[in-house]
Amino acid sequence: MKALLRFIFLFFVFLFLQVFLARNLELGMGAHLFLLPLFVMLLPFETNVFVLMGLGFMMGIIADSIMNTYGLNASSLVLFAYLRPFVFKSFTPKEGYDALKNPTLSEMGWTWFLFSYGALLLMYVFWYFLVEIFSFREFLLILRNSFFSFIFSMIVALILQLFFRKKTLS
Amino acid sequence: MQNLIAFLIRFRVFLGFLAFQTLCFFLYIQFVTYPRSVFFTGAGKVNGQLLTWENQFYHYLRLSEDNEKLQQENALLRGVTFDNYYQLQRPTLEKNDTVYQQRFRFIPVQIISAPTGQRNNYFTIDAGELQGIKKGMGVISSRGVIGVVFKVGKKYSLIKSVLTSDINIDVIVGKKQIRGILKWNGMNPRIGSITGISTDVYVPKWSEVRTQGSTGIFPKGILLGKVKAKRRMENQSLWDIDVLFKEDLRNVHEAFVINALFINEIEQLQQKIPTEINE
Repeated sequence: MKALLRFIFLFFVFLFLQVFLARNLELGMGAHLFLLPLFVMLLPFETNVFVLMGLGFMMGIIADSIMNTYGLNASSLVLFAYLRPFVFKSFTPKEGYDALKNPTLSEMGWTWFLFSYGALLLMYVFWYFLVEIFSFREFLLILRNSFFSFIFSMIVALILQLFFRKKTLS
Repeated sequence: MQNLIAFLIRFRVFLGFLAFQTLCFFLYIQFVTYPRSVFFTGAGKVNGQLLTWENQFYHYLRLSEDNEKLQQENALLRGVTFDNYYQLQRPTLEKNDTVYQQRFRFIPVQIISAPTGQRNNYFTIDAGELQGIKKGMGVISSRGVIGVVFKVGKKYSLIKSVLTSDINIDVIVGKKQIRGILKWNGMNPRIGSITGISTDVYVPKWSEVRTQGSTGIFPKGILLGKVKAKRRMENQSLWDIDVLFKEDLRNVHEAFVINALFINEIEQLQQKIPTEINE
């Protein structure tokens, strides 16, 4: 129950940060700061994939409606949620997943988090710009935007994880 | 039947994924093709209110800059005389000094959301149907062109900004007034690109780019920016010209929507252009 309330709270916090803060950052070189995928990433291991996709879709639609990006975030988040189980499966630790743990940096370790979140975020970012720009003539632009957004979002995700380490443990 | 059910169960996750994606793309298509629907966009009621609050918050952080801009514009307006008026009686009279009819009206608006990082950037303004905004009106700021009204809500509207790939504003370049079309390649929000100018025309660097006003939604001669660089397009004898915008679109807050009073007349006339040659 407590965990559920925490995730509902986090849902709105992430939305708020993405819509009112990350959107106003002017980073240059086409870099965007993506915070929403981190929320989908942090949901517990046993979460049903349909719940993941539903939450991603809802979150994306709310963000899109304020940011005038019409289904772009929603589409990418649904992809992220859909791919999450596959990526988790391919990065399973030797002894399997501990049901008590959450997919966070502090509980699963640097290597696991970097690889699984990195892989998912890379696909998320690439899909986002592919759908947004939607033309193969501007493939270089897609690659450039994806590259810088990926690096930047990854760094911020790691910082956020370190910042809230103690809170997530309790 | 059993096979079908087995199939559905086996691929239920993928089918769910497909369903969600279809919904997303449906929303995208709805946004692009039905200009009347403001559902799920920044021009809606709730989101408009949210964006207004956000804008009010950021407004405090830039009061002095805005002041300076207003002052500059005031100074400029003092020098302007009858630029926005349409001359009713032309060369037939030797002295045409009195008879003018107003041609453009300017509705002051606040830009409450102006993303520049997307491939196609849509701005939100705090005026809509109630203020007399209509689809297709031009939007300018004191230092350049912002875009064209794209969707109109009751109190808020969306603007298709010059930072979209197919904005296609007609411009003239330099003293020779060469015609071209303004587009944006998505790389840098300070720089637009002009196409449609043949390479046999010499375009000097830093020549001024102004609106042409041929569609009638913008007044003629609004300064947009200056030519920064030019390249030959691949496989075509056309210039690909980089324009440095005078207005920094990452930092624009006040704008004017242009109500072009003669637009109906222009459109009616242009509809009479025969489309078939065998008349």
